[in-house]
Amino acid sequence: MREFVNLTDALEILKQPLPDDAAHFRGALACSFTPLHLQTFLRAHLRKRLPGKQVDLDIGLFGDLQGNVERLQKLPSDALFVAIEWQDVDSRLGIRTLGGWRRTDLVDIVESASEAIVVLKGSLARAAGFRPVYISTPTLPLPPLFSVSPQQASSFELQLRQFIASFASSIAEEPRIRVISPQLLDEYSPLRDRFDVRSEVQTGFPYKLPHASSLAEVFAALIGQSAPRKGLITDLDDTLWAGILGEVGPQGISWDLEKQSHLHGIYQQFLESLASAGVLVAVASKNDMQLVDRAFERTDLGISKDNVFPFEVHWSRKSESVRRILQVWNISADAVVFLDDSPMEVAEVKQAFPEMECRVFPKGDYEAFWALLTQLRQDFGKSTVHDEDLIRAKSIRDAEPLRSATTGSRSLSDFLQSASASIRVEFTRNSRDHRAFELVNKTNQFNLNGKRLTEAAWSAYFDHPTAFLMTVTYEDKFGPLGKIAALLGKTDGRTVQIDFWVMSCRAFSRRVEHQTLRQLFEKFEADEIRFDYQSTPRNVPLEEFFADVLGASPQPGCSLLLSDFLAKNLELFQRVEQIING
Amino acid sequence: MGETQDRLVRCFSLVFPSLAADQIPIASVETLDEWDSLASVTLLAVLGEEFGVEIDLGDLPELISFHAVLRYLEVRTVPRSAQH
Repeated sequence: MREFVNLTDALEILKQPLPDDAAHFRGALACSFTPLHLQTFLRAHLRKRLPGKQVDLDIGLFGDLQGNVERLQKLPSDALFVAIEWQDVDSRLGIRTLGGWRRTDLVDIVESASEAIVVLKGSLARAAGFRPVYISTPTLPLPPLFSVSPQQASSFELQLRQFIASFASSIAEEPRIRVISPQLLDEYSPLRDRFDVRSEVQTGFPYKLPHASSLAEVFAALIGQSAPRKGLITDLDDTLWAGILGEVGPQGISWDLEKQSHLHGIYQQFLESLASAGVLVAVASKNDMQLVDRAFERTDLGISKDNVFPFEVHWSRKSESVRRILQVWNISADAVVFLDDSPMEVAEVKQAFPEMECRVFPKGDYEAFWALLTQLRQDFGKSTVHDEDLIRAKSIRDAEPLRSATTGSRSLSDFLQSASASIRVEFTRNSRDHRAFELVNKTNQFNLNGKRLTEAAWSAYFDHPTAFLMTVTYEDKFGPLGKIAALLGKTDGRTVQIDFWVMSCRAFSRRVEHQTLRQLFEKFEADEIRFDYQSTPRNVPLEEFFADVLGASPQPGCSLLLSDFLAKNLELFQRVEQIING
Repeated sequence: MGETQDRLVRCFSLVFPSLAADQIPIASVETLDEWDSLASVTLLAVLGEEFGVEIDLGDLPELISFHAVLRYLEVRTVPRSAQH
């Protein structure tokens, strides 16, 4: 639920004391107007989003956005916020300069705007090489400088908007640049309530206070985004489709306009969209599996059966189905959303998994349905979709034989030997590996210490002369898993210090972690590897692995000697390709 | 202290967080280093939120102390207690 923050609230937030040793978040705000209240609101919203952190904000000079971007990118900071307004693409589009609004001037304004945008784009791309950059495109109305009536869009206005749209769509492709959503800002801050003409003329600050707060809120929300959820478990009857399958049969269920069940079709389309971006989708339904199979054979169903795994279809309790799905996915309950049209089923699952987000599917309630889809986008939204996201569901499905092998009578070694696994190990000093960064910041179970890194801290890690990033990409005969592990470390002679080590839970039970250690020893000709290990509430899998290779429960600062590792004499069957890159 | 004065003290404490409570009633542009033009604009915005008044920047030259601001507000606002 959104809580609006006015200026008094913002100052109250900033007044809250912090401990002397509070961690710092240092940002920079680039704009050409007096940052005034936007600065205050941004600091306050960041304080809300980053609890316990001291927020400092560097600002630039009045009237020089381009120069401010250049200057501020040279300062160490965790993020650069850039508030672009129309006067930044041509000063005549603001009201503090009187450069002329004649029709002949408009031609020149459009030309100079297109050139200014190109220059600004180059500066922003450079700035993004050092830290994440968050950009708002012009939020204020254009001044009434066109010769047409306000009801009509002039071709000049449309050209200017086209430049901005084209600039935004192209800059948004940069991996470290995020453009704030104009649509969300429109929702928070209506256009008519944004521009403060008096303040702009008298102080050089163009925003009405509520607009400044809303803009700062959206900026801060981009910084403080929680990790996206990973999986959605859906019911079938009166959820994925309208009707009770067991009563009306596969041809009787519907999701169309004619039967007023179209919302279910939109829901199917939405789930397919989530699945295509790497979200795991499973079914938990009290139903007959043969009928469900036939229903999924319908060619007009909006989600492919290939994108749903596993199916828990039987008459047992829903919480049991959910438990089994979590085991197959090997993710924790707080990374999952459960959806069912029955409030009772939702309550039963919620009771069993309090940390899971459990929602009632609002059949027949159009407004609530729309709100649900918006909320699900919030739950599952991610800034970038990686190749690994696209193969996640398939790799889990393909791992079924592995799960059977590890629980059956056949030994794991036998199974792994026949798996034809190959591993690509890459060592680099290039910090621009967003997948590795994402892994460090979202992995919980196989995680050396639970520490997270901001993008700026990630880049700064490589300032150390011996710092390296090691990534591991895995594939076997069941399919590729993609890049599934990342380590950050440093070397000191024949000792390797590992500060971060994470591995996707999809790669468990394949001895990838053992191979990782072997590769570390070999690459650095090391005698010892030290680990910045810390126990967390959720890194039990890593703790168990360490207990096995170390022969004792791991302690903070634990280390592994080459001689002890070799003495384990573990059979590793993967074919290894080592890449050294920079 | 009157109601308007109480509310004004709160506004000052937000805009000048380092100012001790007993120093607020005697604060002025001359005695308070932090009271620069930016602080004045922030103070006006906070007063606008708290008292619902739109203060013109042209009035800034006379709003140079806590007491001056208090007098200004007492003329232009109705205390909450007098509102129905």
